[in-house]
Amino acid sequence: MDRLRGALDFCIRHQTVLGYSIVSLLTAASEHIFSSVVFKCPCNSANMLYGSVFLLVPAFILLLLGYMVNARTWRLLTGSCPSEKCCNCSPWGTCSRYCQVLVPVTARAVVAPLTWIAVALLRANFYACAASGNSLIKDLICKDQGEECQNLLLKIPCDEKLSTKISSEFLSLEAQSQLIGWFLIASIMTVALISTCVSRCCSPVSYLQLKFWKIYSKEEQEHFEIKAKEHATKLAKINTNCFFEATDPAPFQTPSNEDWRKISFLYTFNSQEQYYSMIHKYVNTNRGNNAKFEEGGQNPTVLGFVDEAHAIESGF
Amino acid sequence: MDGFQTVLKFFMNRKTAIGYSFMALLTMGGERVFSLVAFRCPCSNENFRYGLVFLFSPAFVLLVIGYFLNSKTWKLFTGCWVNPRKIFPRGNVCHFFYVFGQITLNALVAPVMWLSVALLNGTFYECAMSGLENPDHLNVVCNRKSEKCFEELHKVPCDKSSMPFSESDELKRTLQAQSQILGWCVIVTTALLSLLTTCCASCQSKVSHLQLMFWRVYEGTEKEQLEHIFQLYATKLSERNLKCFFENKEPEPISLPAFQAWENASQLYSFGSTKQHYSTIHRLVEEGQKGINEERETMLDSVDRREIP
Repeated sequence: MDRLRGALDFCIRHQTVLGYSIVSLLTAASEHIFSSVVFKCPCNSANMLYGSVFLLVPAFILLLLGYMVNARTWRLLTGSCPSEKCCNCSPWGTCSRYCQVLVPVTARAVVAPLTWIAVALLRANFYACAASGNSLIKDLICKDQGEECQNLLLKIPCDEKLSTKISSEFLSLEAQSQLIGWFLIASIMTVALISTCVSRCCSPVSYLQLKFWKIYSKEEQEHFEIKAKEHATKLAKINTNCFFEATDPAPFQTPSNEDWRKISFLYTFNSQEQYYSMIHKYVNTNRGNNAKFEEGGQNPTVLGFVDEAHAIESGF
Repeated sequence: MDGFQTVLKFFMNRKTAIGYSFMALLTMGGERVFSLVAFRCPCSNENFRYGLVFLFSPAFVLLVIGYFLNSKTWKLFTGCWVNPRKIFPRGNVCHFFYVFGQITLNALVAPVMWLSVALLNGTFYECAMSGLENPDHLNVVCNRKSEKCFEELHKVPCDKSSMPFSESDELKRTLQAQSQILGWCVIVTTALLSLLTTCCASCQSKVSHLQLMFWRVYEGTEKEQLEHIFQLYATKLSERNLKCFFENKEPEPISLPAFQAWENASQLYSFGSTKQHYSTIHRLVEEGQKGINEERETMLDSVDRREIP
C-alpha cells in the first residue's frame, strides 16, 4: 500500500513529463497499428500521393488536436474578437501579442506530430511507398535504365525481391527513410535543448522562484476548481429552492461579469510587482480597480505554464 | 483509498477526451464486426448499391441516435405543436435554426467517425466502386489493363475474375488506396472545420474564459440539485396524497410551481451580457416571471451543449 502511494506520488510529481511520454507512446503504437493493418501500398503511379498522405495527414491532425487541447489557446481566443470598444487597438500590436502566445503553444502541440513522423520514418513503409513514386528518386536511381526500371521501382514496396533487379549505388529506400528519421530525431532534440536554454537564460525569474511558481499555479488551479464547485452548489441550491417555494432568493455574493473578465486576461509579468497569477494580481490591486492592474508587462516564454494550469476540459 | 480518489479525479478531468476515444474505439470495433460478419460483396451489378448502403446507412442510424440522445432536442421540441411561438419567438425567427444547427453538429460526430473508419478500412468503398458503371471511372481504373477489366471489375473484390492475379491484386490495391485517401480527407476536413468553428465561437463569446469554466460547473450542479429536489417534492406529494386517500383526511397544502412557471423554466437559456444569470431558473428566481419575455442577446451554446437525458 505504501509502495503504491509512493509510486502514485512520483507519478503526480512528474505528471507533465509522464503525460508527454504517454502521448508519444500512444502515437507510436497507433503508427504501428496503421502501418501493419491499414497501410497497403498500391504499387502504381499513385504511390507518391498515397505514401505522403499516410505520412503527413495524421501529423497534421495531431497538430490540430494539440492546439484544441491546450488551455492557453482558448484563454487567448475567448472573447477576443475586436469589438466596438477596441477601435484604438493596433492590428500590429494584436498580431504580435497573438504570436507571442501561440509560439509556446505550438511548441507543445508539435510533440505528437513529430513523434508520428519520426516513428513512421523509422519503420520505413510510408517513405518507401512514397519515394518509389517520386520522380526525383526515379531519376537518381533509374538513370539511363529506361521504362523497365521505372515500372520495377513502382512495384518494389509490394515485393522485396525486385530490388535486387535494379542495379544502383544508392541506398535502398528503407535505409534512406531510417537515416532521415534519425536525423529528424537528432535535430528535434538539439532544437529543443537550445530553445529551452535560451528561454531559461532570458528568464527574468530565478530558478527556485520558478519552482515555487509552478507549485503555486497547480495549487491555485485545484483550489479554484474546489471553490467553483462549492460556490456553484450553493447558488444552485438557492435557485432551485426558490423556484419550488416561489420565494425571493436571499442575497448571495457572486463575482460580477467584469470581475471574471479581469481575471481571465493572459498573465503578464512585471518585475516591479510580485504577482503569481491574474487572481493574485486582481486581489492585491483593490479588485482590479487600481491603476497598477492594467500596467503592461512582459510575456516571457519560461512563464508559459502559468495559464496552462487550467484543466484540459476548457477547450471543448 | 486516497490513491484511488486521485486516479478517479485524473480520469474525471479528462472525461471529454476519454469519451471521444471510447466512441472512436467502439466505432472501429463495430466497423470491424460488420465488415467481417455481415458484409458479403455480391460481386455483380449490385455492388455499387450494396457498398453505398453499408457505407451510409449505419451513419444515418448513428445520426438519428445522436438526435435522440441530445436533451436539447427534446427541450426544443416539447410542446411546440401546442404553442408554435415557443420555437419561433416574435422577432427572433432564426433562433430555431440556430439551435437545431448546433444539435445537428453535435449529432454528426458519430456518423463522421463511422465514415472515416469505414473508408480507412477500404472494404465497403472497394465493393461499391468496383460496381460503378460510369465510363470515365472505368477508364481511369482500368487504365493500361487488359480488356477483361472493363467487364469483370465487379468480380475483383471476391477474387473471382479471370484476370491474372497481379492485375486483380493491383486493381484491389488501387481501389483501397482511393478509399483510404478519401478517408483521411474526411478526417482532416472535419478536424479543420471543428477547430475553425470552435475558434470563431470562442472569439465572439461575450463570456470570459474562467467564467465559462465556472458556468459549466454551475450547469452540472444545478442539474444535480434539480433532480434531488424533484425527488424530494415528488416523495412529499405522493406521501401526502396516498396518506389522505387511505386515511380519508383533508390534504394539507404543498406549494408547487404553477404551470406557467414550469413553462418559463423549460425554455432554452440565452445569455444577456448586462445581467449575471447562469441559467433560466436563476433568471426566473431573480427577476420574476416577467424577465423571461425580454429580448435575447447572445446564444451561448455551451450552457446546454453537454446535457445528457
